[in-house]
Amino acid sequence: MLRKLLISFWMLWLPVLAWADSQWVLDQSTLTYHVSHPLHQFDGVSHAAKGKGICQNGECDFLIAVPVKSFDSGDSNRDLHMLQVTRGAEFPLVTVRARLPESAVESATINLDLEIQFAGQTFEYKHVPFQQVVLGSETRITGTIPLKLSDFKIDPPSLLTISIKNDVPVRVDLSWKRT
Amino acid sequence: MVLDIAGARRPCFAVLAGAFLVVISAPSLMAQAAGELTGSVTDPAGTPVAFAFVTATSMETGRALPAVTATDGSYRFSLLDGNYSIKFESRGYRTRQIPAASVTSSSTVVENCELDPLGRTQGNTTAAPAQQTAPGASNKPQEPSLEDLGISPSQSKGNAREQALLDRRSHMLKIHQRLGLITIAPLGATLITSAFAGGRETSRGSRDAHAALGSATVGMYVSTAYFAIRAPKIPGTKTRGPIRLHKTLAWIHGPGMVLTPILGGMALAQKDRGEKVHGIAAAHGPVAIVTAGAFGLAVMSVSFKF
Repeated sequence: MLRKLLISFWMLWLPVLAWADSQWVLDQSTLTYHVSHPLHQFDGVSHAAKGKGICQNGECDFLIAVPVKSFDSGDSNRDLHMLQVTRGAEFPLVTVRARLPESAVESATINLDLEIQFAGQTFEYKHVPFQQVVLGSETRITGTIPLKLSDFKIDPPSLLTISIKNDVPVRVDLSWKRT
Repeated sequence: MVLDIAGARRPCFAVLAGAFLVVISAPSLMAQAAGELTGSVTDPAGTPVAFAFVTATSMETGRALPAVTATDGSYRFSLLDGNYSIKFESRGYRTRQIPAASVTSSSTVVENCELDPLGRTQGNTTAAPAQQTAPGASNKPQEPSLEDLGISPSQSKGNAREQALLDRRSHMLKIHQRLGLITIAPLGATLITSAFAGGRETSRGSRDAHAALGSATVGMYVSTAYFAIRAPKIPGTKTRGPIRLHKTLAWIHGPGMVLTPILGGMALAQKDRGEKVHGIAAAHGPVAIVTAGAFGLAVMSVSFKF
């Protein structure tokens, strides 16, 4: 009888525990931008992103910040030029905010509305699809942000008087840990 | 028989006509049962808040109906009788909720809302100067902040002086790049005219043309080099990638651009005396070729991906 009562008690608390406040911490990250030019195709990679997610009242808010300086394209001159055109010294961080229902955190595919602050501008990307894989205690999220330079009022840099493409997709690979 | 067919079709027509009447009268019937909830969303200065999300949720059924404000900040719902809670949301503003608004048939309820800004600019593309607002500033108290990520305000603060340095550097290197490309033209012409300047049967005119083009090349080269050398250095930057090759090659074409005209001048003097080019002056051609090759490779090293 006592056992049944205890089980019933825990059964009652399970939904409450499921909705209890939780936090996510970004464990590992790889952000890669891709630049296209008739003579060049290159990627800039950063592993320096920091991120946190707070789930409360059935809603999760995520913030990711990455220093513009941390992107490495394999060429210091090019990186400095990218830093200049993106006004990376004046606005040293790229921040990404996303809000989603806590129930969606468990979905295999998540469509996120992202609010990105970059180069002194804020732009919202709606319904950006991300794939989610749970690997033990880690949740890995991958996807591509369809970033355009014009969204952030960045003049496309040029080489040999030919500008790079306006589309600079950013591949995102994030590993989150629930705390 | 014909009458029979007509008789068979008559009920069918009646059903269609009835259905048509129902369809065309349905909106008006619904309208009769609905009231109107309208209003406008503004900021504290009275400026309309466009594209704000307004959600009317029926307190009886729990059904939520969304709407978005127009550019003049106005919104409008056509709702069935009942009590509704109304939520007003817009990025950059505090969310506001009106707990209950009673809507009755054929009446118009006006609910205006003033949204308080969060102290940062928002929108599809809006300026968010780093000096004025912290990037990643949170909307709600539970939202993570940059401090939560271990990023101090000094780390998120921009450095206008460093940006100005970067701007100047990029500007000078752009000029360096353009002048470098332009230099290729007189350099190529100098190489072509060398074929008519160094042989046994050459005229004074062809030698002079070659010398003039060579001088123009050196002049252009010096200007090109000036903008690279004088471009501000960014402290703490380690040279990596193809730019290393570009810079290394400068140690070849730089001295070459000094030596080549000196040797060329010596060779020209020997030729003018009617002598065969000899001694160290004989190195003019090979030095010029190495110099031109190194210069061409330097241009290519930053133009193409290897």
